[in-house]
Amino acid sequence: MQLEDIRTAAESAALHPNWREGDHLLALLAKNAGERPNEVAMRERDHGIWQEYSWADYLDIVVSFAAGLEEAGVTAHDLVAVIGDNRPNLYFAMLGAICLRAVPSPAYPDVPPEELAGQLRREGIRVAVAEDQEQVDKLLLARRSHPDLQLIVYDDPRGLSGKDQPEGTVSFETLLERGRARLKREPGLKDDLLSRPSVHDVAILLHSSGTTGVPKGVPLKHGHLISGVRNAAAAGYFRQGEVHMAYLPIAWVGDFTFSVAAALELRFVVNIPEAQETALHDMREIAPTLYFCSPRAWSAMLTRIQVGIAETTRFKRWLYDRFMPFAVEMERARLDGRQPGALQKLRYALGSFLIYGPIKDHLGLSRVERAYTAGEAIGEDVFLFFRALGLNLRQFYGQTENCALAVAQSPDDISLTSVGRPFPGVEVKIDDSGEILLRGDNIFDGYYKDPEATAKALRGGWLHTGDAGQFDDDGQLVVLGRVSEVMHTASGTRYIPTYLENRLKFSQFVKDVCVVGSGRDFLSAIVCIDLQATGQWAQENGVAYTSYAELSQSPAIYDLVQGIIARLNAALPSGLAISRFVNLHKEFDPDDGEVTRTRKLRRDVIDERYRRIIEATYTGDREIEFEAQIAYETGQTGVITRKLTIRTLGEGA
Amino acid sequence: MFYRLAGVHHTRYEQARALWPVPADRWQVLVIALLALAAPFYLSDLYLGSYMLPWLIWSAGALALTLLMGMAGQLHFGFAAVMAIGAYSSIHLARLGIPFELTLVGAGLVSAVIGSLFGAAALRVKGLYLVMATLAMQYLVDWVIINVPAISGGAQATLRTPAVSFLFVPLESLTARYYLALAWVALSAVFFLNVKRTSFGRALVAIRDKDFAAAVIGVDPFRYKLMAFFTSSFMGGVTGAILAFCYYRAVTPEQFSFNVSIQLVAMVLVGGLGSVVGGFLGAGFVLLIPIMLTNFVAGLAASGWLAVSSNLLSHLPLMIYGALIIGFLLFEPLGLAKIYDNIRKYFLVWPFRHARS
Repeated sequence: MQLEDIRTAAESAALHPNWREGDHLLALLAKNAGERPNEVAMRERDHGIWQEYSWADYLDIVVSFAAGLEEAGVTAHDLVAVIGDNRPNLYFAMLGAICLRAVPSPAYPDVPPEELAGQLRREGIRVAVAEDQEQVDKLLLARRSHPDLQLIVYDDPRGLSGKDQPEGTVSFETLLERGRARLKREPGLKDDLLSRPSVHDVAILLHSSGTTGVPKGVPLKHGHLISGVRNAAAAGYFRQGEVHMAYLPIAWVGDFTFSVAAALELRFVVNIPEAQETALHDMREIAPTLYFCSPRAWSAMLTRIQVGIAETTRFKRWLYDRFMPFAVEMERARLDGRQPGALQKLRYALGSFLIYGPIKDHLGLSRVERAYTAGEAIGEDVFLFFRALGLNLRQFYGQTENCALAVAQSPDDISLTSVGRPFPGVEVKIDDSGEILLRGDNIFDGYYKDPEATAKALRGGWLHTGDAGQFDDDGQLVVLGRVSEVMHTASGTRYIPTYLENRLKFSQFVKDVCVVGSGRDFLSAIVCIDLQATGQWAQENGVAYTSYAELSQSPAIYDLVQGIIARLNAALPSGLAISRFVNLHKEFDPDDGEVTRTRKLRRDVIDERYRRIIEATYTGDREIEFEAQIAYETGQTGVITRKLTIRTLGEGA
Repeated sequence: MFYRLAGVHHTRYEQARALWPVPADRWQVLVIALLALAAPFYLSDLYLGSYMLPWLIWSAGALALTLLMGMAGQLHFGFAAVMAIGAYSSIHLARLGIPFELTLVGAGLVSAVIGSLFGAAALRVKGLYLVMATLAMQYLVDWVIINVPAISGGAQATLRTPAVSFLFVPLESLTARYYLALAWVALSAVFFLNVKRTSFGRALVAIRDKDFAAAVIGVDPFRYKLMAFFTSSFMGGVTGAILAFCYYRAVTPEQFSFNVSIQLVAMVLVGGLGSVVGGFLGAGFVLLIPIMLTNFVAGLAASGWLAVSSNLLSHLPLMIYGALIIGFLLFEPLGLAKIYDNIRKYFLVWPFRHARS
């Protein structure tokens, strides 16, 4: 099956007048190999030491593999599946395929065989490149339902070579040798191969995670990737010669743009860990200058540090307690626009030597100049902590459809809530429904064999991201959530309950919260406090309580929650604020059907059960008597009458 | 805190096995080396000649002994005799007009051959019995030296070292003698560090841990024990020669008596078996702490802080010294080197407690 349905080269040329013919990934590789043949391009940790590949090796392997692959029957516009963890040979194989104008289609290494078979079938794949025996076995299983799969190329020969070698498989090394032999026979072949690709060729077929149904194929062309990288470089997002860790899955758009496109354009040193499990350890050995990980991973890293400090020796912990909270507060003040004094700077310098530097060193972050996170909202604690360590942690925003390079914070213009400004060359606007629209040379030209979805996503030349957003007073983009979750107040102000709720839940004192206000004049919130954290706080602050219900109604706790909500309100655009809230006498409980087992709110149940409370928040009552239904574990139900306080913000106790 | 490991990566196994893969350790070694090299410029002759110089030479002796005791696990209570052989051989060889450079090698070889002869006993006996065998060597060598006038010149005689020059530099000035001792101890330390990462060193460790287990995995105990005695005695012999020419400059048999052997064993044990840092720290402790304690106690008494009888006063430093040795060995049975290692690790994992949390 071929990718003819995308668009012809002529159409593509008309669509992207800025792209220059001959400006493609292989040309970048050839240029690097010509200018810096002996400079390190890639390192892989293998058996405890780092094996290095120079740019000359890189080009040699890519071209030889391409020659071998062509001999094995791969032609232009073929799709080649690539599956496995990050391995140099998989990157080389992808570029080898691209060299033949074939299109690599990477899959996540943990994909189950049925899903893999589905991908092979949908894309009519005949040749696959796999990392090791595990992936080959999966492909062999998939071959039963998709016999068109003729050839499986494997990288790691363990368990595959010798007389047990399965039929229709060949090792990367063998193909490479055949390619080398061919290059020797046909002297002009190398230049021929390198001249084949065009900027308008599809370079890679990635897959956007479809929340419903099958994932959609996202073909990205050389031009998309290169202009995306150049836009980002112009914004200072990447620098020339970064040291980069390639540890995120190769099927994720970010890995291809970072580890291949940006690496070729800007001559990165790409470092590949020995295995997924050793990625953190290997990262310390490399100390990259560019680092990306998800908010969840940053948060996990913070937890690791906190656990380590909790069990360290008393003196070290004492020093940590002297310096770390100080740095976090200083960073908070800096983000609020207050500059630290000379004395504070001195204390920070001392802290850098004693605490911040060593922690960064342990994490392998000591050389990171550009640290990024994206994908979801990052907790304030986590964000401030790593910024306080001296990392310039920044958020960016992008999707598979735009090479993950669209919007990012600039180094000196950081805020917790926004994701920054668009890169030069990328236009952003918010349409009437609040959806974020993007336009630029890095935006893809349409989904793979899905004209319907393409027409929906690319209306009027703008990419409809499906994300709801707004610009804050600074002109920075704020991503709120999915458009499908948007609700409106009576005055028509848009808001996304989960966005507000998640931000409130960043506080350890708030376990659950439900923000209501659809069709109302203002927003109000039903808050479930976290018994453990709040109870601890109550003990430390001398608040007496006997039960969750009593603690939740204590005025001191109301003040505490009010403070949290007021902080959120301050960060929200005007016209959108949570004006009243009530502390619920119990936690939301999956047994009562108020939340799912994964603790997602079931709004209909909450609306139904707490209708009277919600009504009361809008009538201006200061107190409500509520008859709570309680389901006992025996299955009986009972009723308890509770008096709940309703607090209006800006009003004292 | 001082140790930064991020970015330290290896592209070859040779690199990964380097002596000091951690940059902070390299800095430390460099600073110490520079301090040692510049010592004649900032230390007075008294400190250079009576503290630094003997400390370095005895460190070399401790290193030679710890190769045998710490690495190969062969106890030796007659190491002073080995050094004595080196000292007397070197004087006689130098008197014959042999260049001093060759004299040193010759002294080492004589010690190595005689030392290995006695070491051959180690092939049959272990532990306390080996202690007895080496003690026998101590007394036998002492007796021979005293009673053969051709060697010692008579029981009460003192042999002066002839004037020699090393690499065309006359060994007259204190500075010249200091640099020769420094060169030798540095060479010994580097040699020892490298032995640890060779097959020879690993064979010695295997024999130390269990000699017949080592034999099972193909290490020939006969050969390696003999090699250990030979190497260690060679180093001991050269150290004896250096001691004679650079420090004593006149040799009498009492300088290499049984007491000295015990002191050498104490250096090795207090310092920490089988460690280079331990060799230096142990020699420093055994040599310098008594002097410092004496000065300290005398100072206290002089200023009237310590009102005790002069009899007790002279013994007080020894008592404190003994208590210190017991205290250190109770506190850390693996010696000063282990204490150093603990401190290093405390900073290596800073601000955490373990390497990986």
